[in-house]
Amino acid sequence: MSEFLDFAAEHLPYILEGLPTTLALWILAITFGFFFGLLLAWCRIYGGRLAYSLATVYVEIFRGTPMLVQMFFIYLGLPEIGIVFDPFTAAVVAIGLNTSAYQAEYFRGALLSVPSGQMAAAQAMGMSRMQALIQIVLPQALRRVLPQWSNEAILELKFTSIAFAIGVTEITARAEKIGYQTFEFFNTFVLVALVYLVLTATVAELLAWLERKTYVPGVTARAG
Amino acid sequence: MSTVLRVESIVKRYSDHAVLNGVSLELARGEAKVIMGPSGTGKSTLLRCINHLTPPDEGRVFLEGEELTSENINKIRQRLAFVFQDFNLFLHLTVLDNVRIGPRRILGQSKEEATERALTELRRVGLEDRANYYPAQLSGGQQQRASIARALAMDPKVILFDEPTSALDPELTGEVVAVMKQLASEGMTMLVVSHEVAFARSAADKIIFMEGGYIVEEATPEVILRNPRSDRTRGFLKAIGEQEAV
Repeated sequence: MSEFLDFAAEHLPYILEGLPTTLALWILAITFGFFFGLLLAWCRIYGGRLAYSLATVYVEIFRGTPMLVQMFFIYLGLPEIGIVFDPFTAAVVAIGLNTSAYQAEYFRGALLSVPSGQMAAAQAMGMSRMQALIQIVLPQALRRVLPQWSNEAILELKFTSIAFAIGVTEITARAEKIGYQTFEFFNTFVLVALVYLVLTATVAELLAWLERKTYVPGVTARAG
Repeated sequence: MSTVLRVESIVKRYSDHAVLNGVSLELARGEAKVIMGPSGTGKSTLLRCINHLTPPDEGRVFLEGEELTSENINKIRQRLAFVFQDFNLFLHLTVLDNVRIGPRRILGQSKEEATERALTELRRVGLEDRANYYPAQLSGGQQQRASIARALAMDPKVILFDEPTSALDPELTGEVVAVMKQLASEGMTMLVVSHEVAFARSAADKIIFMEGGYIVEEATPEVILRNPRSDRTRGFLKAIGEQEAV
């Protein structure tokens, strides 16, 4: 145990230098996924036939292929047709596009779960459809989606580790480097796993707090 | 008396079945009319056609002489309130915010003005002490009174009530009927789909009896409840146990 602690004390700082990169990857990707996912869900529910079809095809493609393949395609494949990203941007785009497909499905379910009488009541007062969606339906849908969305956010935090495969020096990449320098792979990967565990536990706690904070009786099923 | 709401020859079909077969009616300022009739006879559809929540296939609706069109519908609905059978309070908003959102976000009043208005209407329906509760924390009767306050806060010219007590436990209908009676006595123009004979008898100027997508007859509560012209009206009142005498 003390051997591991010595190992951690020596190498943790180097691994944690990758933390800003990991967190930036994660925040940019899930934020992009949030807005784009919402747009996709919107298209699938309220859009015309074309918008519905495009969004549906998008969701099926990105849910049906591995994220690693998508990232390699974006980083290594797209340059062949003149679209070049640096590794960090390519990883953000890949993770963001992928999570948006999943988030879209969660948003779609949540938007559809808002009782239709809510829209009717808003329109009956003189709200336009758009105003009713934004002021009445969306705030309820977002509360309802929060538990699923939290799962997705935590999942994506772990998925940022795939960025190491295209050379982004986030925490997994740094751990791998330490492993090959010290040949103490056991300690190395226990250490980096602990780092992820602390990160995901912190994020889970923050999101649980947000859930309690936004809880309204009668909108979400369970009490905060 | 001046006509506030005029409904002309509303027709509504679902596939090839006509639910409304050309229904016309008028409401004068301050008038309260109650629509009765067997279930499935088009009463609620008529109400929803009047404010175009369900667009009618044919017919026209005028509020204060202005015809409802797809262009002015949102403007007109601000003056043509609707109270739903199952309340449809906005679930994520407190009672106060439910009542305030219309004046604030639709009529564009200042926050202070809208709050003042909302509190006034909540006092009117006896719910000022529930202002900070969420809908799910209220009884059905309280929710319906809150939804009436929400309608009143828009300062409507007419309120349409779609079976406002049908979703309530029997012991809770009284508080809602009391609020509606009070509104009628204060001169609110109201069109009410309801089987609340007690309300109709004491607060309605006219009862409209509907069946099969037609208006069978329209007369004062006195006439309809005591001596209806139509056998169908008589049969319906008998069925709900309200035929008083012949």
